[in-house]
Amino acid sequence: MDLTPRHEIEEPGHLRRAIHRRRRWSIFAITVVLIAAMAVITAQGLRNATLFFRNVDEAIEQRAELGDRRFRIQGRVIPASVQGESGVTTFQVVYGCAVALVRHTGDPPELFKSPWIPVVLEGNWVPGDIQTVAGTDSHYFRSDRMLVKHTNEYASANEQRVSESPPLGFLDTCPFKVPVNTS
Amino acid sequence: MSEVATVATGWGLTFVAVATYSLWVVRRGRTIGRELGIGDVGSTDFQRDADPRTDP
Amino acid sequence: MPGGTNSTEMTATPATRVLGISAVAATAPMILLGLAISPADVVQGEAVRMLYLHVPSIWVAYGSFVLTSFSSLLFLARSKRRPDGGRHYDRLAGSAAEIGVLFTAITLITGMLWGKVTWGTYWQWDARLTTTVLLFVTYLGYLALRRLPADPMVRGRRAAVMALISFINVPIVHYSVDWWRTLHQKASLSVGRRPEITGEMYWTLLYSVLTVTIIAAWLTVHRYRVIRLEELRDEENLEMLISSRRNEKTADGTGHGDTT
Repeated sequence: MDLTPRHEIEEPGHLRRAIHRRRRWSIFAITVVLIAAMAVITAQGLRNATLFFRNVDEAIEQRAELGDRRFRIQGRVIPASVQGESGVTTFQVVYGCAVALVRHTGDPPELFKSPWIPVVLEGNWVPGDIQTVAGTDSHYFRSDRMLVKHTNEYASANEQRVSESPPLGFLDTCPFKVPVNTS
Repeated sequence: MSEVATVATGWGLTFVAVATYSLWVVRRGRTIGRELGIGDVGSTDFQRDADPRTDP
Repeated sequence: MPGGTNSTEMTATPATRVLGISAVAATAPMILLGLAISPADVVQGEAVRMLYLHVPSIWVAYGSFVLTSFSSLLFLARSKRRPDGGRHYDRLAGSAAEIGVLFTAITLITGMLWGKVTWGTYWQWDARLTTTVLLFVTYLGYLALRRLPADPMVRGRRAAVMALISFINVPIVHYSVDWWRTLHQKASLSVGRRPEITGEMYWTLLYSVLTVTIIAAWLTVHRYRVIRLEELRDEENLEMLISSRRNEKTADGTGHGDTT
């Protein structure tokens, strides 16, 4: 039989609070850290995530408004165009039948040597008369950061050789010819 | 890091993480069970509401 | 890997022991397929082997978060009608979320390592990576909320609401590669689309998904049971505290307390 006076029903809550007080503070701290982390991630994400890169054709189209602003450009590397000397790699990238000449400072990632690899470059347009496989151009892209953009295609290295020819259909409608690798 | 080293690291870390977590879960179950004085598996009702198929 | 065969284990039953043994047994062929039998990729070489952990992990994480949301929904809907207040669903939500967080972490780590050798960087704030790390942090917050001391039913309802809010991010993570331009490639496997992956790699990936699912199922069941044990212990501790407190009070008069 429970003869405990009524006011003692208050006790469990009080006791529980005492036990959990210290634990509650650490959890409160963790929660604050987590919220802060989420805020930072969201801020970072909003800044970068929505337009992670411009394709070569768009980057050329928007050249006037881009000016010398920093942005990311995406295209496939034309294998025959790659030249490297003293830390600077020069090559051409193509997307949507638009070609841009790139001067990249720094070590390209390992997979850069794979033919027709899509890359994302960070940098800006620089005026200068240059020649690409599509003709003459008034700007080149100066890049100091290169990322290889892997596709979602996977093929066995045993069955398939690395192909020097462009991906099927990629350049079919383009008015220019891309030279085959001579080096 | 080379490709092979990266793959080894990734697989290694994954297995260590899963194994550590598994052990933690099992040990924690054992410790609390002992604290509660539940010696014999099947003597508690938690197993019944966890998996009805184990209930004969 | 899971030690589901130990007979002294508190949280094992014959059914989960079979599950645990299956998990261990399935892991060996997964290692063999993933690290030896399946071929290197024509472009990324050996790095492709990371795929067999990365993709199954996020699928299992998605599945866990679906389970968490579903259980949370049932908890909110049924808690009044069930004798135990629907706490069964609350436990299921909590254990699944923890397994989901574990596998999201594995996805992030394997992805970062893979990114370093293929992209040339561990991290980029593109839409896929940003939403995935947000997913991880959100569910970590969910787990923290579950540990906040409160009345079990109040805590359960809070957690259930947060679980349902957190789930919004799951389809965003999955479709981020289609909705936005990302450095991350598009989905490797998706329903109703021809996989752009060669046969041996495809089967290895599917087998890995199966294996990781078995491991996660085993973990979820055991975690559920440990949560149940934690609850039993908390209830017992509370009862002991109440009775010891009562004893203190009654000790003044009689010297002996009623310990029930």
